[in-house]
Amino acid sequence: MNNLCADIGWKSLNHVGEQLCGDHIEIIETGDDSTVCVLADGLGSGVKASILSTLTSKIIATMTSQGIALEECVKTIAATLPICKVREVAYSTFTIIHLIQNEEAEILCYDNPDVIMYRNGKQYDYPFQELNIEGKIIHKARVKIQENDTFIAMSDGCIHAGVGMSLNFGWERKEIAEFMETLTDVGFTAKTLSTVLTDQCLKLYGGNPGDDTTALTVRIRSRQQINLMIGPPSDRNDCDKMVSLFLSKGGKRIVCGGTTSTIVSKYLDKPIIPNINYFDPEIPPTATIEGIDLVTEGVITINRVNEYAKDYLADNESYKQWNYKQDGAAMISRMLFEEATDINFYVGRAVNPAHQNPNLPINFNIKMQLVNELSESLKKMGKNIKVNYF
Amino acid sequence: MKVTVCIGSSCHLKGSRRVVEGLQYLIGENNLKDKVELGGTFCMNNCQNGVCVTVDDKNFSVSPDTVEDFFKTEILAKV
Repeated sequence: MNNLCADIGWKSLNHVGEQLCGDHIEIIETGDDSTVCVLADGLGSGVKASILSTLTSKIIATMTSQGIALEECVKTIAATLPICKVREVAYSTFTIIHLIQNEEAEILCYDNPDVIMYRNGKQYDYPFQELNIEGKIIHKARVKIQENDTFIAMSDGCIHAGVGMSLNFGWERKEIAEFMETLTDVGFTAKTLSTVLTDQCLKLYGGNPGDDTTALTVRIRSRQQINLMIGPPSDRNDCDKMVSLFLSKGGKRIVCGGTTSTIVSKYLDKPIIPNINYFDPEIPPTATIEGIDLVTEGVITINRVNEYAKDYLADNESYKQWNYKQDGAAMISRMLFEEATDINFYVGRAVNPAHQNPNLPINFNIKMQLVNELSESLKKMGKNIKVNYF
Repeated sequence: MKVTVCIGSSCHLKGSRRVVEGLQYLIGENNLKDKVELGGTFCMNNCQNGVCVTVDDKNFSVSPDTVEDFFKTEILAKV
């Protein structure tokens, strides 16, 4: 057991004109801090490719997570996959990144571009061996993992980006590795790294991907706890209890809400110093309280964070917004999405009479719903969430 | 003179940004930056009358449309 954990994120582009992606990602956590990630790329595109890659990745992920040897998995796949009538082969390439007890990574790659690995912000050429299983040549490597190791697996749609259009030979693996190198150690999440890579592919394809294109990133990082307090407690007498619990936990602290920050400021006997710079016209300015890492307005700010979180799990278009902006919502998003692995929410259930005006979109029910939605989204990002109500 | 504008949720929705920007502009135009200190605050517990603004502890209710009048009568005239 160590303090490491994996941040895993991916992004796919569909072959132009197709509704289904022929690449498929399957991730299974096996409990003992081990995770199996599989990226499979089915032959062709559309429905057929999607079925092939889904079957392949499901079979491999399930079998590997049960500790079954790769030879067996490959045999099972060969025996299971439906045979394409046109080409008379059953075919799906795959890449497996198997994280074993957060200590080691086993990388297996069949006919996909080899996994790119970075260590301490530099490309790291790991040694691999060639296996021959049922006539299939598979690259196998095993590396001890360290904090900040980053692995990027790709389907061949990435290296074929721009063939015959913007580039003669496509975007070679070597060039992709150089392109991503500078981005790996600045703290971007796995999802953002994958998105940056596929966005660049989309650009090289001139907006019309000629193949399903997928990037899967695994970042090894240390656990980081963040605490977020929003709303005053329903019983006034619980204020001190709530704040002392909130302050007792390790990690960074965020306070959201005007009344909430007043409670914290009284408890700490430190003044709230508000800011009046509007970095985003819709988001109220932040403030400072000594001892608290970030103080923001409440429900409007959290509403924006919630929107960013939903988008992060879908298209991840808005990372261009929250990744650099200085408003409260973008700062909370960076802390929760990028920095945190474990998040404790301290949610007060007091009803603010001034917010119960039906003309204002900030009433009590909306606030509670926002917190629920946000914590669900954060769970889907792979974070450990605890919500405490007061 | 100290002028404080509420930037809490309720006042924000009623237009505190435009009030802050209006005052920033008018204070600059009239070269009062040395004499008027403009700041923000979280909720003043008077949300019904937002946007809440205080001038040296005296409460006012200002809207984005009344900023200019408010500035003339309560700030420019008294500074």
